Amino acid sequence: MSSVDTYGFINAKMRARLGKAREEAVTEALLRAPTLVDAIAALRPTRYAALARSYDQSGDIQAIELVLLKMEIALHREISGYLDGAEGRFIAELLGKIEIDNLKNTIRLWYSSIIHRRPIRHRSEYLFKEEILHPVDWTALINALSWDGVVQATENTPCHSILLEHAEESLREDGLFHLESRLDRLWYEEIRRATSLLKKPDREKALELLDQEIDLKNLLILVRYGWHHRLEAKELFSLLLPWGEVFESREAGLYIETPKENRSANELLSRFLPDEQRIGDHSAIEEVLRIEELLARNRRRAYRRLLGGDPFNIGVALAYFFLNKEESRRIKAILNGKYYGFDEGYIRGVIG
Amino acid sequence: MNLFTKPMRLLTAVVLQQRSDQVVKALLKLGVLDFIHISRLEPDQLEKLSSRPSATNRVVLEDLRGRVEALLKQGHLALPGESTLDVSLLEEPQIERYRVVLDELTQVLLGLKEQQKVANQALLGVEEMHRYLEESKWQYLDLRIGSVKEGKSEQLGEKLSPYGAFVEPIEGEFVTVLSLRRDLAHVDPLLEKFGWTEESDPLLQKQAVMLVRTRLESEHRKLIDRRGEIERSANQAIAERKEELYAIWSNLRLNELSDQIKSYFSYTRNTTLFSGWVPADQAEKVRSAIVEASEGKCVVEWTEATEVPRESVPVAVTSPKALEPFQNMVNNYATPEYGTVNPTIFVMIAYLSMFGLMFGDVGQGLVLLLVGLFGSRSYRLNPDKKEGLLTRNVTSLLVYLGLSSMLFGALFGSYFGLPLLPPLWFNFEAAVEGHAPATALVRDVYGILGITIRFGIIIIYTGLVLNWVNLFRKKSYVTMLLDKNGVVGGILFGTGIHMAFGFVRTSYRSFPSDPWIIPTLVICLILLFAKPYVQHVVDRRHGRTTRTFGQVAAGSIMEFLVDVLEIFTGYLSNTLSFMRVAGLGIAHASLMGTFKYLQSMVGGVGGVLIFIAGNILVIVLEGLSAGIQSLRLNYYEFFSRYFTGRGIAYRPVGLKRSSSADR
Repeated sequence: MSSVDTYGFINAKMRARLGKAREEAVTEALLRAPTLVDAIAALRPTRYAALARSYDQSGDIQAIELVLLKMEIALHREISGYLDGAEGRFIAELLGKIEIDNLKNTIRLWYSSIIHRRPIRHRSEYLFKEEILHPVDWTALINALSWDGVVQATENTPCHSILLEHAEESLREDGLFHLESRLDRLWYEEIRRATSLLKKPDREKALELLDQEIDLKNLLILVRYGWHHRLEAKELFSLLLPWGEVFESREAGLYIETPKENRSANELLSRFLPDEQRIGDHSAIEEVLRIEELLARNRRRAYRRLLGGDPFNIGVALAYFFLNKEESRRIKAILNGKYYGFDEGYIRGVIG
Repeated sequence: MNLFTKPMRLLTAVVLQQRSDQVVKALLKLGVLDFIHISRLEPDQLEKLSSRPSATNRVVLEDLRGRVEALLKQGHLALPGESTLDVSLLEEPQIERYRVVLDELTQVLLGLKEQQKVANQALLGVEEMHRYLEESKWQYLDLRIGSVKEGKSEQLGEKLSPYGAFVEPIEGEFVTVLSLRRDLAHVDPLLEKFGWTEESDPLLQKQAVMLVRTRLESEHRKLIDRRGEIERSANQAIAERKEELYAIWSNLRLNELSDQIKSYFSYTRNTTLFSGWVPADQAEKVRSAIVEASEGKCVVEWTEATEVPRESVPVAVTSPKALEPFQNMVNNYATPEYGTVNPTIFVMIAYLSMFGLMFGDVGQGLVLLLVGLFGSRSYRLNPDKKEGLLTRNVTSLLVYLGLSSMLFGALFGSYFGLPLLPPLWFNFEAAVEGHAPATALVRDVYGILGITIRFGIIIIYTGLVLNWVNLFRKKSYVTMLLDKNGVVGGILFGTGIHMAFGFVRTSYRSFPSDPWIIPTLVICLILLFAKPYVQHVVDRRHGRTTRTFGQVAAGSIMEFLVDVLEIFTGYLSNTLSFMRVAGLGIAHASLMGTFKYLQSMVGGVGGVLIFIAGNILVIVLEGLSAGIQSLRLNYYEFFSRYFTGRGIAYRPVGLKRSSSADR
């Protein structure tokens, strides 16, 4: 089967949807809406009409977020259904990212309830509790009375072994940070494994994109935890995702080994992002936010470039997912911004 | 219906400034003037004119209207349409007052929505427990029976409510407490504080389960009602101010339109000037309206369309409402040039003939007709109905397609694929399957292909004739005679057809050798070659060109070669393209034949089901294919002969395009 046979239909479908998305210009309409009521009205004639219906019924922004998540999952399933064999399985595997994020959210909520003893009441109902990719028992997880219960709820899933590595006491003392980093890494391991099933051009394209993503993530880790939080070399190194140019670079090694007070984020970034402005004299937290925005912008550019390239490979589907996810993220942020009464300019600044 | 685009006249008017608002209202009410900016005046006259900034920012008006629409949508109320606009009610917009009204209502809504959110969250908490109870997931629930020794059970209930727990009296001093196990860290200390004593009576336990189930169900119902009640209150709050919102909306919309008209105005110290295109049959009405509104203090001048460059005249085409689906097909393609043929009626005839040839069946046509009629009726009864896959336009089109299919079905003697009545023309299916009687008009697929080729030739010649008419009206006589789509092209095409049919008649052995063929070809090719030179001479005589003879000569050879190539390949491919009509028709008949065969193999109820399923499949798939192919043949084979699509559409400013969705 040629790549045109495989991707001809999906490419046309994705592009038609992107065209429609561009035509609807949902986020622009939302941003311009003066109040939440106007923003919801802006959603009605679009493909996000289900969000407006949810708001009519519940008046609750969090209920809207759950609908958005469901839409995102449905989209993955739909597209993976259009592709057969390894390509279809690869697309389905992308759901793993949503699953990991859902797992992190659920564990955070569980942590708040059991470890911090804060009542979570209805908040558990905002979690997505159906099977995403693996048979996680979400209900058992959120109702677990101990960490063992959490671990048991993830039996027969790839993350089970990672959860087993952690104990309730250590989580109580150290928090969830390391566990979450480990779960993030797990997804990259899984998705890289899934790429090996793809045909060569697809595999190369998928790995190229993943490596770009990993590089940006590693840069962020190095800046945020190495420069802003000043973690020790060993701990910092353990957080890195063990792939990509940044991880393998001499500069990153030197940066990690440099005494934590003397690390220069500037030097590191100028090596990997030479075209970007250097870090100024703003407060460290502002700088980290700025770098995060910069990296997000780079990622957006990379995915947009994909759409201008060869239309008959997995890249178009990946770009579509990314852009769709971006739009969902923006919609969530704008609706929340409108709910809290922030003005258009401020929200624009936040969502980038 | 006009066979050609509507004749237009250009109005230029001067009115006293003090009457300009009345004139705006009058023009808005008529809604037939397609305004243009005054730029045709002499430069020294233009210098004396000035434009004026609008008193109100149109963006502000649009944004406020958008807010009104958002509120109406939130209240599930219909948006006001053009029917609510009354020009006599146009007044200065009170922007600040409108803002206050909208802000007040928005605040009320947001307050109600906040209450709805709280109710929804309480509902979610109850739903979770209710679900566990229904699914017997007792491992997540904690149900206790006991008594409170210190304080009252009501107080305990209040204290436990932040954790979503329930306290329900059972019998005497005993109460039951239902909570989630994960909240025990909060519940246990409270129970202890109230001196909780556990009771293990199994009878009471059974009773407790029933009690909490009833309580959860009643709470669930109560909260759903509460949430719905708040939603209704929000809708009610908007509905109560509906008239006010409609009035604001109407005035904002009228001001937007008025501002749009004024943006074309130019001013001297005391007068207002404006200009615009009007269909000739509306000209007198417009003049009277301006005279009346300005109380006679005006000057109105008319310029005929023939006095300005054709390409700057907007094009208005009118077709009866019944032909709207075909008018839309033309509009989707492009706007015809001013003064040329309105293609709608020709598109209708060509489209329906092609569709009928590809999809001729009385039964299946009847289904299309009924779907079209019911769909159109549904849209007529519910004007606000959202358009689905079968849009208003498609349902109207289906009525015509159904009729066409029925007519051709009767000609082919096909009724849901069955030969219930003898064909009026020939049995299409029998010709496809090769068992047509020897006396039949068409006996095999070659006969069918021949029919569609001839049909294609008629369509192409119709396109050529329409092109000659257009060029004659445009006074482009050289192009009309010598162009590849002109008379010379037509003669060459005719000669080619004669040769092709002669070739077929000799069973593909030799071309006809009539003595006129070679001279005709030679003369036509010479004329074709001469075209740029003749055109150049004519253009020079009218001062329309600055090219030298040498430049024309340099381009003419290439132009000639391309034209010859286009004539021989273009006409051939365009004609053969019509074989798709036969192809689709044959596919239609073959599919029906296959389903009938399957039906006879299975027999009984199964056979009937196969027959029905087959018909549905053919109606959906073949109907869609035939519709698309007919459109393609019209756009590429028919339009390419005469339709330049270089016109600019006539867009008068009036009380239309009412909701922001149309903006």
